[in-house]
Amino acid sequence: MRNIVITPLAPIRISVEAEILSPDIFAPLSMEQICGLDVWQGNRKKKISDLFRVVGDEGPAKPEETALRLEGDFSRVKRIAEGMTAGTVDVTGSVGMHAGNNMLGGKLSILGNADDWLGREMRGGSIIVEGNAGNYAGAGYRGERCGMRGGEIEIRGNAGAYLGEHLCGGNIRVAGDAGDFPGAANQGGTIFIGGSCHLPGAEMTKGTIIVNGKAKVLPGYQKLEIVTIGGEKYQKYAGDLVENGKGELFIQAGSS
Amino acid sequence: MRVEDAICSFCGCLCDDINVEVEENKVKRVRHACRLGSSKIMGHERIRSPMVRKDGELKEVSYQEAYERAAEILLAASKPLLYGWASTVCEAQKKGILLAEEVGGVLDSTATVCHGPSVIGIEEKGLPGATLGQVKNRADTIVFWGCNPAEAHPRHSLRYSSNACGRFTSEGRSAKKIIVVDVRETRTSKNADMQVIIQPGTDYEVISALRMLVAGKGDVVPEEVGGVAKKELASLAEMLLAAKFGAVFFGLGITHSRGRYKNIDNALSLVADLNSHTKFVIMPMRGHYNVGGIGQVLAWSSGYPMSVDFTRQAPYFNPGETAACDLLAKADTDAALIIAADPASNFPRKIVEELAKMPIIQIDPYENPTTLLADVVIPSAIAGVEAEGTAYRMDGLALRMRKLVNSSYPSDEQILDGILESVRSLRSSMSLRGGLKDDN
Amino acid sequence: MIIRGGIVYDPANGIFGEEMDLCIDGGRIVEDAKGEVIDARGLLVMPGGVDAHSHIAGKKMNTGRIMRPDDSRLGTEPRSGVCRPSTGYTVPNCYAMGYRYARMGYTTAFEAATPIIEARHTHEELEEIPILDKGALTLFGNNWEVMECVHDKDIAKLAAYVAWGLRAARGYGIKIVNPGGGEAWGFGSNVKGLYDPVPNFDVTPAEIIHALAEANEMLRLPHSIHLHFNNLGKPGNYTTALETLEALKDIKPSRMRQAVHVTHMQFSAYGGTSWRDFESKAPVIADYINRHNHATMDMGQLLFGAATTMTADAPLEYGNARLTHNKWSNHDIELEESSGVVPMVYSRKMLVNAVQWAIGLELALLTEDPWKVLMTTDSPNGSPFVNYPEVIALLMSKPKRDSEMATLHAELSKRTSLGGIERELDWSEIAIMTRAAPARILGLEDKGHLGFGADGDVSIYNLLPEEVDASKEHATVKKALATAKYTIKSGIVVCKDGKIIATPRGKTYWVDAAAAQADMDRLMVDLQEKFERYYSVQMSNYAVQDVYVTNPKVIKAGIGAEPLKEVA
Repeated sequence: MRNIVITPLAPIRISVEAEILSPDIFAPLSMEQICGLDVWQGNRKKKISDLFRVVGDEGPAKPEETALRLEGDFSRVKRIAEGMTAGTVDVTGSVGMHAGNNMLGGKLSILGNADDWLGREMRGGSIIVEGNAGNYAGAGYRGERCGMRGGEIEIRGNAGAYLGEHLCGGNIRVAGDAGDFPGAANQGGTIFIGGSCHLPGAEMTKGTIIVNGKAKVLPGYQKLEIVTIGGEKYQKYAGDLVENGKGELFIQAGSS
Repeated sequence: MRVEDAICSFCGCLCDDINVEVEENKVKRVRHACRLGSSKIMGHERIRSPMVRKDGELKEVSYQEAYERAAEILLAASKPLLYGWASTVCEAQKKGILLAEEVGGVLDSTATVCHGPSVIGIEEKGLPGATLGQVKNRADTIVFWGCNPAEAHPRHSLRYSSNACGRFTSEGRSAKKIIVVDVRETRTSKNADMQVIIQPGTDYEVISALRMLVAGKGDVVPEEVGGVAKKELASLAEMLLAAKFGAVFFGLGITHSRGRYKNIDNALSLVADLNSHTKFVIMPMRGHYNVGGIGQVLAWSSGYPMSVDFTRQAPYFNPGETAACDLLAKADTDAALIIAADPASNFPRKIVEELAKMPIIQIDPYENPTTLLADVVIPSAIAGVEAEGTAYRMDGLALRMRKLVNSSYPSDEQILDGILESVRSLRSSMSLRGGLKDDN
Repeated sequence: MIIRGGIVYDPANGIFGEEMDLCIDGGRIVEDAKGEVIDARGLLVMPGGVDAHSHIAGKKMNTGRIMRPDDSRLGTEPRSGVCRPSTGYTVPNCYAMGYRYARMGYTTAFEAATPIIEARHTHEELEEIPILDKGALTLFGNNWEVMECVHDKDIAKLAAYVAWGLRAARGYGIKIVNPGGGEAWGFGSNVKGLYDPVPNFDVTPAEIIHALAEANEMLRLPHSIHLHFNNLGKPGNYTTALETLEALKDIKPSRMRQAVHVTHMQFSAYGGTSWRDFESKAPVIADYINRHNHATMDMGQLLFGAATTMTADAPLEYGNARLTHNKWSNHDIELEESSGVVPMVYSRKMLVNAVQWAIGLELALLTEDPWKVLMTTDSPNGSPFVNYPEVIALLMSKPKRDSEMATLHAELSKRTSLGGIERELDWSEIAIMTRAAPARILGLEDKGHLGFGADGDVSIYNLLPEEVDASKEHATVKKALATAKYTIKSGIVVCKDGKIIATPRGKTYWVDAAAAQADMDRLMVDLQEKFERYYSVQMSNYAVQDVYVTNPKVIKAGIGAEPLKEVA
């Protein structure tokens, strides 16, 4: 593996857009070339080395043999691991918005929290967040008909609102609670919520949502039978019938 | 002198039948306008001179000095926010967009704190609308959802909606059904044929229930939704279906309650569904008279109607990330130009505290709480009273605002031009001195 | 400026691929000039492209942008050099509109549909489009005053209203969209055919179309009526097309041009009784156009991929939205029109879309006279205008059409005659369909040709017409047309090798037609009542003010006007 460690030189105030923080971009470059890559801080274009200390093994390497380690607080750094196809990105702290945008493969691990739009429109690979995720994890861009289409997102804490909005495929697993409208306008994929949430599956046409805690169910959902999944009993619903939806919603029996 | 058919610069109704009497270059009398419009046109005490904060105090300076100080602030910033725009004319908005491009800033309008969620809803579903005259001539069923025009848009009812008479509505109010959906009784609901009081934050569920009922799937709907009995919702659905031409007007009661843009998203779908059975249109009740205009001008200039980030020279749009409140909440902006708005009064307190930390340029005819935070204050002519220009009504119709009186104040457009010129000359002198990194 | 040694195609002046020099001075083509010399030796040189039907400005376009941030994010180009930023693919921002047309060698584009009351907005956007000369057609086909004049058979008053409406809108000509259907949509219905009465107005679409054509010729307008048929977009609608064309045979044009221009014929050349047995009737339509001389048309070519449909045919758009389960914007316009906007993706896998694709090409290839059929995509309805090079390459190359068809539904060859068409258009025909004919059909005397006195609008492509075999080398053709080597607008090089280097402000054409005073007086009585009782704005705030058209090119027409010079 080619290991590269990136550390902020100082706390960051104005957010930084750093879509180049990806194994695909770093892999073919020498360390000198990497240090010369551009990032944007507001309207100022800067060299990555103006803001971060970048050290690691000399290249080139293949993306799948490249491991980025982001040490420190990246909560104001956006678009980490955007479009990555292979390799790994490990973040010891938190990440800013749009981490794992359009991700296609590889693995993004975040020890802290992730800000909004984690894994936006991702198609493959996996993301693990030890802390919480913000709004719109696994969702799409404004006005787009499809959010995440494939891959895995695992959030060990809580998720914000609009989790997996317009989900078209892939799996999202949240250990804690999700906010309002998880799985809105879903057309596929699976969402598992360990805790509670509000109005899951609004306008869902296809896909599966499983809620282990409490959830308020929309009037467009038809109550079906009680089913057993993994030893737990769930109330099954079909909907959202406002859209003639054929989605499946399971809420732990006795909790809704 | 009398100015006929003047256009009122208060709310999104843009009433264009106002008669104004002017004596000695002062507005003496305003006819046909509502109380709110009339007081806007009459005006009140103005900011006297441009001011720049020196040693903590605002000191009167020349316009040129104010422009130069404004240019310094904007060019020193990594992510300046250019905010407001709803109470000025399109000509100024165009200049503002150019300025935002040149300084690499984020431009956002007051829509972000009113109908911003409506815009996001429209991005999900589209907007089945009409001009207000279409509603006047045809609507026999009108729904006011989360809005109270009797207080906020006083002439809406007579000119366009409940009490308007038109070609197919010659009997006026008596032949119309007026429905109000809100969380409490309002002045508007008192005159309604049907009032539906829902629990706060349940708009989305209630709309879903209505969609089910309209589609004939009422058997699935629970006995009570949002605190309203299914029977009552069923009779509401029946009223909607019985309309020959229905119109839904909605306001902040639905855009800023729990569910936000999803509420609008669902309401748009309800209206689309209703069109399989009869004719229905829907429209946001816009507040500031030209909040529609900034949406239009921004859309044709940048592709997006609000919250546009020009920091990387290419427009980027993502409310939730690029809206004024988002940036301030994350302290992700380092200077602000505020024009024709008063965020110090209208933003949440924590966000105002953030705003207070950064240099602020204010362009406004009047002093307001934002003035207290400002470092540069530039008084302007009142658009639509002292300066002409274009405004877009709540239904998207463009009208030309008349100038009613002369003013010694420069217009917003002229002020922005002055700042733009100062930005350009300061930038060129900085790059001569090597003081500014040339990014290109 | 001297453009030296190009292979010039200027069909309006009988020049079909001759090596010659062109001179431009004072923004116009002249006999001799000095100054900058542009080396065009061996390269393809044509007049600047003219688009006679495109949706480029106004409420519909902006509605498309607002409801489609997903589209706006495509095609983003940062601000640089003389250029403001660009965004969008099917619904580009105003700047991209100008830059992208200019990049393809186009210098003129006409907005296809504007209601009078919303013309101020249209002009605000037209003003913001750099480089291009432009104009806007004005909608009259669902207008209350129009229908009342038609009902009263008062063509003189109708002509007065058209003159008044064009002036109020600063508009260029009469556009008619699904006549009567837009009014019916006001209560959620539609008209079913040419002789189906319009609810509440007791007139038929046939009467509206015929009367507007009569008024058009009474006013001697430079352009004919510009017609979007009833029943557009529906299987079996070719009969409506033929019926309508037949009903206009007796209209005598007041100028040397067509009596009717039918727009985006592709959407009206449909056979079958439903989408299941949907088939092309392009051969029948082309045959009619070949045998008659009163009508011209544009293709309205559909290409696979993303589009945004936008039209004053509001009931059609509601149908589109329900069919495709897509976003739906609608906009009813008091006393005048209705309209709608729906995003669309045309798929290679869909037989219906493949047939639609074939129909546009059949229409162009089966119509013998290229002066009768314009190359358009009804942008962005069939496809955004940036894809014109693809359409041209298809028209010029049978092998390209064959290789496309091989990727499409097997059933396609049974539903269309395209596979059996051998014809490949040459550069003269392309120059006619994209330059000379649109200018002539619109009645633009100074456009679409390179004779002395014509506007100095020239496009030069990086392509040697004497060496390139367009049939085989269609990829080369497409690439060359997508990026002009030079685009010259009014004698200024605006684009060089695809890079925009100057952004002069273009002109806006509008037609100022005179009507008889007595008719105008009678009209005013009607209009005053309409404004007092029905409009939501005052008459004094209605018309577009001069300030919104900063560089106007006013064409005089109307009763008593000087006879117009005929276009070459």
